[in-house]
Amino acid sequence: MKKIVAVTSCPTGIAHTYMASESLEEAAKKMDVQMKVETQGSVGVENELSEQDIKEADAVVIAADTNVSHERFGGKPIVEVAVADAIDDAESLINQALEKAEKGETTEVKANLQSQVSDEKSKRKSKRSGPYKHLMTGVSFMLPFVVAGGLSIALSFVFGINAAEQEGTLAAALMQIGGDSAFALMVPILAGYIAFSIADRPGIAPGMIGGMLASSIGAGFLGGIIAGFLAGYITQWLKEHINLPENLQGLMPVLVLPFLSSLIIGLLMIYIIGPPVEGIMNGLESWLQGMTDANAVFLGLILGAMMAFDMGGPVNKAAYTFSVGLLGSEIYGPMAAVMAAGMTPPLGLALATVLFKNRFTRQEIEAGKPAWFMGISFITEGAIPFAAADPIRVIPSIMTGSAITGALSMLFGVGLKAPHGGIFVLPIPNVVTNLGFYAIAIIVGTIVTTSMLRLLKPKLAE
Amino acid sequence: MEVNEFINKNLIEMNLKSEDKDSVIKEMIEIMAENEIITDKKEVIKKAMEREEKGTTGVGKGVAIPHVKSDAVKKPAVAFGRSDVGIDYGSMDEKPSRLFFLITVPEESHDEHLKLLAQLSRNLVHDDFRDNLLTAKNAEEVMNILENI
Repeated sequence: MKKIVAVTSCPTGIAHTYMASESLEEAAKKMDVQMKVETQGSVGVENELSEQDIKEADAVVIAADTNVSHERFGGKPIVEVAVADAIDDAESLINQALEKAEKGETTEVKANLQSQVSDEKSKRKSKRSGPYKHLMTGVSFMLPFVVAGGLSIALSFVFGINAAEQEGTLAAALMQIGGDSAFALMVPILAGYIAFSIADRPGIAPGMIGGMLASSIGAGFLGGIIAGFLAGYITQWLKEHINLPENLQGLMPVLVLPFLSSLIIGLLMIYIIGPPVEGIMNGLESWLQGMTDANAVFLGLILGAMMAFDMGGPVNKAAYTFSVGLLGSEIYGPMAAVMAAGMTPPLGLALATVLFKNRFTRQEIEAGKPAWFMGISFITEGAIPFAAADPIRVIPSIMTGSAITGALSMLFGVGLKAPHGGIFVLPIPNVVTNLGFYAIAIIVGTIVTTSMLRLLKPKLAE
Repeated sequence: MEVNEFINKNLIEMNLKSEDKDSVIKEMIEIMAENEIITDKKEVIKKAMEREEKGTTGVGKGVAIPHVKSDAVKKPAVAFGRSDVGIDYGSMDEKPSRLFFLITVPEESHDEHLKLLAQLSRNLVHDDFRDNLLTAKNAEEVMNILENI
């Protein structure tokens, strides 16, 4: 028995696609031909043709008013018509296809490399489903906020590290753009678009609100990721399980869904996620207080690792606040360790995107360039997009690098009197002691981070 | 999900008055508006016409299935109309159309709705299904035929 495979598709994907499919199946039954029809309609692809189906087929019928990719049918006889033709006269289409098969007429499919690559890519994209896809959606929307914010802040340091404290100056404006606006939006955008990827449009409001709360309770980007996933799955669940009487259905998207989903995620963030985050931060801070007299190198190691762990979350904040607090007691070592450890994550990642391009996506390689500037400016957030996209491999890498930097900084007895500013504070007299060794600590940490990334991150399959 | 959730007797017109393509589309959309399926008649007409420009929905064998996907649609619905004289709908086979299904769905619809509409569409290619619709005496008979798909 001859076998034909077909694809049907139409612009709206509601009716013609399926009529054509039915016509083809009916006609094939009558003509004693085996037929499998893939429908590309508004429900998505149904009855998808497998590679095996295509291999076994004698000919291919494409009945579509939309663009149906030919690549996978290379080397097969193809009959291509408008979708209506298949509804109208499926029998003659099948005859045409069989005729072509008989004559051995194959259709030359322009299998140029680019289209093959893009085909492969779309295949991989569709495979990248589930949590990974959601995470990547969130990260890609967040990225411009990180870059815009980070570079604005770095630029404000150019005017002097405390210039932004003078109201009305350009430096203050830059800080307002970068720190107060772009960075404030970073976690909400991450969470919002993770939720969007899961639950479509209705996910955005609860996701962003949850992300905003993650920021305000101090849970950082890791809290934002949790908020995004919670918001997305909760909204999706509500969408599927709330059945309103028909005359109230209009209220669903404008009132019920946004209010209910935001309420649930908001309460969860405040009452379930909030207390442990605060507990962790307070606990870590008092733990660090107790370590003031401990071995300096060990303290540097711990502080460094903490800085890189959640970049703006409770663990990072505990280390930072502890060190800033010590400045008041004229203890400058931990501050130096903390700043160095906050610089190596973006620097290490930036270096890795240059050296090991095949381990990063194109987007990440592009994000590596601004990461240099954020790194030298002690804007650790520059590493967040990388960490959010692949937390299990990136976070241990940057933690190792930062821990070593922190330990070295303490070992060399470096002291730092300014709580921020990165490379811009170094030329100021008397702010840093042992400048040369400080630079070595940062460079070593950067290289360690990069080496760890090389070790942990697998090559991306091409 | 049952057929009677998107079509009922009020959405069936056994005797369409229109004689040309544009007016039959408007006549059927009017039925949708009367039954409060759509919120913005003009918008729906515009969308339906746009769809026809991309390619006629007159699929031959005397059947036309104009359809609209729009935010101006409250819920997925189908209106059925029959013309005794037949209307030139610019169909593929150049024959007049006598059976009309106007399908309206909101921009975001559940898959199950779309699948049911797909099922209806599949039935339209069967000769006996169409013959039954052509010979049905009243709206109740049409409902019976549709409920049995």
